[in-house]
Amino acid sequence: VNAVTRSGRNRSRARSASRFRTLVVHLSKRELDSLHRTTSLGWAWPLARQLAQLGVLVFVFSNILDLGIPNFPLFVFMGLLSWNWFSSGISNGTSSFLNRRHFLAQPKLPPIVLPAVAVAVPFVDVLLGIPVAAVLVVVSGDPGWTLLLFPIWIVIQFVFMLGAAWMLATASVFFRDVPNVVGVALTLLFYVTPVFYSLRVVPEQFQWVLQVNPLATFLEGYRSAVLGDPLPGLGRILGVTVVAITLAAVGQHVLRRYQPRFSDYL
Amino acid sequence: MSERLVTFEDVWKEYPRWESAPTLRTLLVGRRPTATAGRRWALEGLTFDLGPGDFVGLVGPTGAGKSTVLRLASGVSTASRGRIRTPPDTASVLSLGYSFDGTLSGAENAYTSALLAGLSPRQARAALPSIVEFAELPDYAEAPLRTYSDGMKLRLAFGVLAHLHPRALLLDEVLAVGDAHFQQKCLARIDELRDAGTAVLFASHDLEQVKRHCNAAVWLQQGRLRAFGEAKEVVGQYESASHAETLSRTPVAAASEEDAGPLRVGENRLGSQEVTIEDVVLTGDPECAPGSIRSGGRLEIAFRLRAHHGPVIEPILGVTLWDDIDGVAVWDINTQVEGVVVGTIRDVADVRLVFDSVPLAPGPYIMDVGVYEPDWQFAYDFHGNAYRLVVTGGPPSKGLIRPLHAWTVSRRTLP
Repeated sequence: VNAVTRSGRNRSRARSASRFRTLVVHLSKRELDSLHRTTSLGWAWPLARQLAQLGVLVFVFSNILDLGIPNFPLFVFMGLLSWNWFSSGISNGTSSFLNRRHFLAQPKLPPIVLPAVAVAVPFVDVLLGIPVAAVLVVVSGDPGWTLLLFPIWIVIQFVFMLGAAWMLATASVFFRDVPNVVGVALTLLFYVTPVFYSLRVVPEQFQWVLQVNPLATFLEGYRSAVLGDPLPGLGRILGVTVVAITLAAVGQHVLRRYQPRFSDYL
Repeated sequence: MSERLVTFEDVWKEYPRWESAPTLRTLLVGRRPTATAGRRWALEGLTFDLGPGDFVGLVGPTGAGKSTVLRLASGVSTASRGRIRTPPDTASVLSLGYSFDGTLSGAENAYTSALLAGLSPRQARAALPSIVEFAELPDYAEAPLRTYSDGMKLRLAFGVLAHLHPRALLLDEVLAVGDAHFQQKCLARIDELRDAGTAVLFASHDLEQVKRHCNAAVWLQQGRLRAFGEAKEVVGQYESASHAETLSRTPVAAASEEDAGPLRVGENRLGSQEVTIEDVVLTGDPECAPGSIRSGGRLEIAFRLRAHHGPVIEPILGVTLWDDIDGVAVWDINTQVEGVVVGTIRDVADVRLVFDSVPLAPGPYIMDVGVYEPDWQFAYDFHGNAYRLVVTGGPPSKGLIRPLHAWTVSRRTLP
């Protein structure tokens, strides 16, 4: 009897996992469709935005304030891909319940889907950026075996963002200041994340800030994959992995715990 | 007792009030809000149930808790106390298509709705053509949704619903936006589901609809269950309570100086008098005397509404015409059923009701006019049997109507 109920539970868990995936994929596609359908450049817009950002940063930090970082375009591009995904995913994720409250009135839509959609949508920009990155790698990169770790870094960042978005979205329902706090925090975080500078130029006494910033570890990971830079230390790799998984588990738990009260507060 | 599909057992619901909800500040300062002071229950100890094939109407004034009941039953919100049981495949239409995206096409939105309603991608794709067909939108399926009217959105939402075979169905007052033809179609579909054993819980302002379609009704008043039982009986109680409410709100001959002509407060003039009807004038074609019209001719009814104690929001206006000889109702029309926006009356509103052609049989008729509270809770002002209308154009005869007609006789001589 036990085995039967267990297999039944596994089946229902598998079913709800597959429904979760279906809904995240569909709702993300729908959001992107709705965003790009009426523009003449369509899908080229996000790419244009990233390239413009890349162009400015490369110009400023090669010609005006040379930081002396080799392969700077590819270096910055990795930083931009990861940072832009993080910052729009987290800020949209945080307000995903507040901005889509009508979806929470859909009894058959698990709320956990909405922050995940907010994280998945800007991930498409990363996917679009990968061919550009590939060209840069061929031209000037220096990939080693660490290139194989590239998808793993993406997975860790995804899990980390999901957890954070689940938690922040839940908190925003009850505390409406949260999206503002997150907005300010992201602005500050940008400067303590080595998007356009290198960890090496950071003075010794501030190194710890970057060491505890998971984003710094992600960036080093992406850069080691395409530039042949050294991997972050094993301790930091394990650290961010554990933090990401814990955050996702706790975030999911918190969200499920409070979701029965969402619609009363929205 | 047969199987129960939807049960409410002593259900209580309290909504958090924002002033007592925690903010970051209360959290930081460490002061807990005094939430227990003066709690207000949205539902108080509700108990009722639905079995297979039950079609239960939820009636009661706005704010009585109808939508709360449906939200709790759908699982969108949870009860503060008590137990609610619903089948896992419960379907619901609680709000109309706010998950729709204006840029995407009707078909794409229908697909999304189908997914959100619980269909798998394969089922949703398979259902799509018939959803579009049920919604009678094949010509518009590829047009962006922002070009749709509200009625068309209802069609789409209902088209999706028509595809689920739920054991329980929850409907908020969504049918009201549709045109009459589509409302009928939706109701027919609901009847079909009910015949197949679906339990339907349906909130409505339209008491006639509840009487006609539901076998049982739940009457809610300020979050409490006032009555639960056979639909006609419960609606009858609700209506007579509203009549009693009107009587109790009718001032005792206070407006005697305002009594004009045929009106006597407390006799044929009832209501709270918060809004009054003034200067009711019936006009026909130019050649007709006041208060009389030509059979098949034009009729214009004009009157003025005056609010006496502050603005009145969205009152219902109703006009009923009776045959003065047999007492048969000729028409009974109101702004709510016809979806006319009356809006907020601050001081006065002039109302005109125009009939281009009234093919009534010649004879005497008599008219009631009324202005009612938006939930038919009571009348603000009701003038019963108060205005005479004489239809001219020949001698009185049997029958109520005399449509435009023509006789033709062709004579032949047979060989």
